[in-house]
Amino acid sequence: MDQPTEPRTLPGEPREDGAPAVNGAGPGLRRSEAGCVMESWREERTRSLEDNERSLPSLAAAYSSILRGLGEDPLRQGLVKTPWRAATAMQFFTKGYQEKIVDVLNDAIFDEDHDEMVIVKDIDMFSMCEHHLVPIFGRVHIGYLPNKRVLGLSKLARIVEIYSRRLQVPERLTKQIAVAITEALQPSGVGVVVEATHMCMVMRGVQKMNSKTVTSTMLGVFREDPKTRDEFLTLIRT
Amino acid sequence: MNGHCNSNDVVDVHINNGFSEIIIDTKKSTVHRQHETSRKEAEDKSRLPAIEAAYTCILRELGEDTDREGLLRTPLRAAKAMQFLTKGYHETIYDVLNDAIFDEDHNEMVIVKDIDMFSLCEHHLVPFFGKVHIGYIPNKKVVGLSKLARIVEIYSRRLQVQERLTKQIAMGISEALQPLGVAVVIEAAHMCMVMRGVQKINSRTVTSTMLGVYLEDPKTREEFLTLTNKS
Repeated sequence: MDQPTEPRTLPGEPREDGAPAVNGAGPGLRRSEAGCVMESWREERTRSLEDNERSLPSLAAAYSSILRGLGEDPLRQGLVKTPWRAATAMQFFTKGYQEKIVDVLNDAIFDEDHDEMVIVKDIDMFSMCEHHLVPIFGRVHIGYLPNKRVLGLSKLARIVEIYSRRLQVPERLTKQIAVAITEALQPSGVGVVVEATHMCMVMRGVQKMNSKTVTSTMLGVFREDPKTRDEFLTLIRT
Repeated sequence: MNGHCNSNDVVDVHINNGFSEIIIDTKKSTVHRQHETSRKEAEDKSRLPAIEAAYTCILRELGEDTDREGLLRTPLRAAKAMQFLTKGYHETIYDVLNDAIFDEDHNEMVIVKDIDMFSLCEHHLVPFFGKVHIGYIPNKKVVGLSKLARIVEIYSRRLQVQERLTKQIAMGISEALQPLGVAVVIEAAHMCMVMRGVQKINSRTVTSTMLGVYLEDPKTREEFLTLTNKS
């Protein structure tokens, strides 16, 4: 029997039980023993490689009908295998659903008596807008203040990968990264800044070529102490 | 040449003012010309439900929950977005150009550069985008400058490969204006290479088509490339 652990919160953070389900929700929504609905984005519902293989023919058929609906000829040379390629590509762009944070992190948490800020910045990020199914790309900057436990540095980038390779909105992406690090390490504070270009705004709609969207999540001392926050924001700028 | 290309004609083109070595591959051009107006704007609305249904199926097959708030209208939005991104199929260049060709006694190079371009890779249905630089040497006829950008729009808002896009832009201009030469350079980033596959983030693909004097005369070509700041 699996009892999902209660989500840990930092001081001052509101608990989020009962909030509407976000991406990763659906058939994977589970109830704890107490009967309350767990937020499934914490539970990392996984898609398996077998699921991918099974879905491929229907995905390809859907893409074929899209090509026809757009007025193209699916039988011309350049498009003959496009439904399959597009389907595989889309599965790759949403491979974050195939992975769990716990699989990625478990081995790489170390006890270190270090309590200065650790920053990994300019992590390239590629995601998909959940509203238009069009790419989002940009950079993620992560900083945290360890509390006796540090994380392998590449694991920060892997956390970004898991959450970004999904159908996302930038606000949720930023928060999920921050909360994942918080839950794994219980640090004194976490700061995450995501700076991205949204193709849905650049290629269509308002068509603003140079626009960038910046979202941030500050937890713990990053939220409470302006000086810490300032230090983080300065260091990611330089 | 007649300059009026009916989409159903097989076009055998001999241009007498310096393109004589360029013969359009007639088989290829027929296939592509069939897509010149393969979609009427009025039909878009009626085709939407089918595309929408396809996207709903895609979301489900990817393991998402189509009933969650953020995804409720996504199939419709994605379908409309896709139609917008392929709106180049609505038009031919003659729809756009016919009014804006002017007789001018100008035979120096005209360049419009850094035209932002957004297209869709026909192999993966993933965007590629970049800049287009166009140069031409008029032969008594000049075209409204924004029309060059509109030609880019028409051909880029389709399912494309960059090589074909470059050539179509160049051929479109040369058919409409019969200039002494046309040069088109496209530099683009392909998300299919950046977001997946080899995942080379900084890679750029550059393609070019040189017609007429740009092909024959290295100095003219060099002048164009210098002015468009290829470095």
